[in-house]
Formats: sequence, C-alpha cells, structure tokens
Amino acid sequence: MHIDWWTLGLQTVNVLVLIFILSRFFFRPLTAMIAARRAAVTAELEAARASKEAAAAEHQKIADEAQALAARRATLAHEAAAEAAREKESLIAAAHAEVEAMRASAAAEIARAREADRAAEADRASTLAVDIAAKLCARLPDTALVDGFIAGLGEGVAALPDATRAQMAASSPLALAAPRALSAAETAACEAALSRVLGAPVTLAVTVDPRLIAGLELSAPHGIVRNSLKGDLDRIAKELTRHDR
Amino acid sequence: MTGSPLEITPLFSIGPVPVTAPVVVTWVIIAVLALFGILLTRRLALQPSATQAVMEGVVETIDDQIRDTMQADPATYRSLIGTIFIFVLLANWSSLIPGIEPPTAHIETDAALAFIVFIATIAYGIRARGLGGYLATFAEPSWVMIPLNVVEQITRTFSLLVRLFGNVMSGVFVVGIVLSLAGLLVPIPLMALDLLTGAVQAYIFAILATVFIGAAVSEGKEPPRPETPRPEALPAAPPAKDASKG
Repeated sequence: MHIDWWTLGLQTVNVLVLIFILSRFFFRPLTAMIAARRAAVTAELEAARASKEAAAAEHQKIADEAQALAARRATLAHEAAAEAAREKESLIAAAHAEVEAMRASAAAEIARAREADRAAEADRASTLAVDIAAKLCARLPDTALVDGFIAGLGEGVAALPDATRAQMAASSPLALAAPRALSAAETAACEAALSRVLGAPVTLAVTVDPRLIAGLELSAPHGIVRNSLKGDLDRIAKELTRHDR
Repeated sequence: MTGSPLEITPLFSIGPVPVTAPVVVTWVIIAVLALFGILLTRRLALQPSATQAVMEGVVETIDDQIRDTMQADPATYRSLIGTIFIFVLLANWSSLIPGIEPPTAHIETDAALAFIVFIATIAYGIRARGLGGYLATFAEPSWVMIPLNVVEQITRTFSLLVRLFGNVMSGVFVVGIVLSLAGLLVPIPLMALDLLTGAVQAYIFAILATVFIGAAVSEGKEPPRPETPRPEALPAAPPAKDASKG
C-alpha cells in the first residue's frame, strides 16, 4: 500500500477548511436562529404567563369585590329586616295601644251610657213614684200632708250635732218648705216643736213647694233637715242606684 | 470503476503539489456545502421553511448526540463533530454519482480525518485539564498503564481510520467487481447497501470521535452539567475509553 502524503496533507487542510466554512455559514447561523426562536418562544410564554397571572389577579379582584358586595348586601338585608321587624313591632304595639284606647274609650262610653240610662231610669222611677205618691196623697186630707211630719221634723233637728243646732238656733228666721201654705196653727206648731228642740225661740219663713208631696223641709245656712215624701223617695232612689252599681 | 482503490494517481499538479481525485471530489463537496450553507442561512427566519426546519433538526440531532455522549455543552464540539459527520456522509454517498470515487475510499482522506480527531482529542484534553492533568490521565489507574494508554491512543485512532477505509473501500471494490462481471443493473442492490453502510460508518466515525474527545475531557472527573440541557433527554452513560474496540 502506498500513501500519498500530498493527498493526506491536502485532505487535512480541506477538512479543516470545511470545518471553518460549515462553522461560519451553517452551524453558527442555524444555532443562533434556534436560540433566537427559543428566546422568542420563552418571551411569548413569559408574556402569556404574565397575562394569565394578570387575568387571574383581575378575576380574583372581581371575585373579592363580588364577595364584598354580597357581604354588604347581606348586611343591608339584615339591617333592613331588623328595621322592618322593629317597625312591625312598633306598629303592632301602636295598634294594640290604639285598640286598647278605643276599647277603653268604648267601655267608658258604654259605662257612661249605662250610667245615663240608669240615671234616666232612676229619674223616671222617681218621677213615677212622686206621681204615684202625689196621686195617693191627693186623696188624703190636707192636714195629713203636714201634721204627721211636724214631730219627725223635730226629731230630725234633734239628731243634728250640737254645733249645727246652735248655729241653726242663731239663724233666725229659718226657711221651712211645705207642700202647701201652712195655717197659723201649723206654723206655730212647727215653731214650737223646733224651739223645743233647739232650745231657743225660732221664727220660720214658710215657702210652698208642691214637689214635697207631703212633709216639711227645714233649710238653714249650716244644715238641711228633710222630712218629706220627696226626700224619702230621693233617698230610696239613691239607695236603689247605689245597689245597682 | 475497475482500478484498484489502493492505487492513486494525480489528475494534475499545482506546482510541485500533485492533485488527486479524492482532493478534487473533496473540493467539490466543500463547494457544494459552502454554497448550500450560504444560500440557506441567507433566508433564515423564526418561522422556518421546510429546508430550514430539516437543517435545524440535523443540527439539534447532532447537539443531542454530543450532549448525550459527552454530558457537556455541545457548542464547543458542534463544528468539529458535525462537519466530520456531514463530510463523511456526503463523501460516502458520492459513490452514487457515476464516475465518482468516494474520497473516503482512499486511506489518505480517512487518515486526514483520524489525524484531525487525534489532534482534537489532545487539544481538547489539554484545554479542559491542563497539560499536566491531561498527561496524568495516562498514568491512570496506575503508572504501569502508561505504555498501554499511549499505545491505546494510537491504536484507537488507527482503528478509526482503518474501519472507515475498510468499509468504504470494500464496498467500492465489491461494486466494481460485480459491475465488471454481471452488468449494468446488477450492482444496484449493492449500491443501496452502500448507502446504508455509508450512513452507518459516518455515524460511527462521528460518535467515536465524540467518545474520544469526551473521554479526554472528562476522564477521572465528574461529568460536567450541560449548559443547555434538554429536559426530555435521558442521561447517557459516561463515555467509555475503550468504546472504539468494538
């Protein structure tokens, strides 16, 4: 085997030249382009990641705002419900108070009406009793309307306290009401009976009041002594009214 | 092609320098690759054309092989290993052109390539470990191994050139014999087989050069971390110093 050393040297140089040429015009530009593409892809991925993170942050922000709005809405709803409950309670209380007041007013009105009716009934009863008594007494002799009541008048005056009787004795003339005009004898009998009870002479000023029906009524500044059918009927009516209550 | 591939005759001379056929074919290959590289890189874009995508795939495949074999950044070794692979591949396949004899079928071309690998191995080893550190690797694992390691450095380089030369030369020789005996179309299957053999021999030559350089750079050290690791790439076994003995 023969080796051509010139060919060996030339081929060595040729391969070294080819290494330089391919390094300069093939490998270096291609690797630079690959690196540039990787850098571009990395930059785009980084931008996409940044955009994704920004979108996620925005989404989180919106979610937080929505959550805050929901919390605020819930708070407002809770406050509105509480306010409505308070208002409802207030209205119910006011309605109850109003109803209670109306009920009390109605009860008072009913009581007043019932009292008025009872008073009217009592008045009618009194009037009826007076009319009955007057009609009955009209059948009696006139003397019976006075004579039988003189002694009772004296007993009524005697039942008064001493001070009242003393003041009454000092108040002369005393007013004496009678259902008809008294005769002189009847007036004297009355003065005698009263003088005896009061312990001092009494002068009477007699007035006529047919409403008494029968009996006598003595009036003084410090006391009244009623001894008549009207006075008895009034007491009976008052007692009946008191018992009705 | 009926002449012996062991014989080489000058086609012409430039002064005292005889220019043979392998040199001329190599010049043509250099011119074609240079023109292709210039035309390709003038139109590079971020959105690659089909040709650019294929060429980028070739470059990334070479990078992956270097990275997987050496466990190092391929940028330093890309030009050397890539050029050797592409040149050997095109030189082997140049036999498909009628009348062209592949440069690698002559031992001068293979010896030139093996010599460049030998020098590159020493240069990269000294650059990575320093002169003392590189020479110290010959005394590993013991000083007794110094003669054997020196002999290994020479023999593995020799085996590199003999392997390439034997395979390509034998292919050309067989095709020439069959063509002279059988006829025009009979050698076609053998030529197709030469395509496969040429590609395999180009790959073997390039990967063995990578292994030799990687062994010189990383022998006795932890494998360096690649600067641009590919996440999907599985870590390869550290380069074996005796990988060329297969």
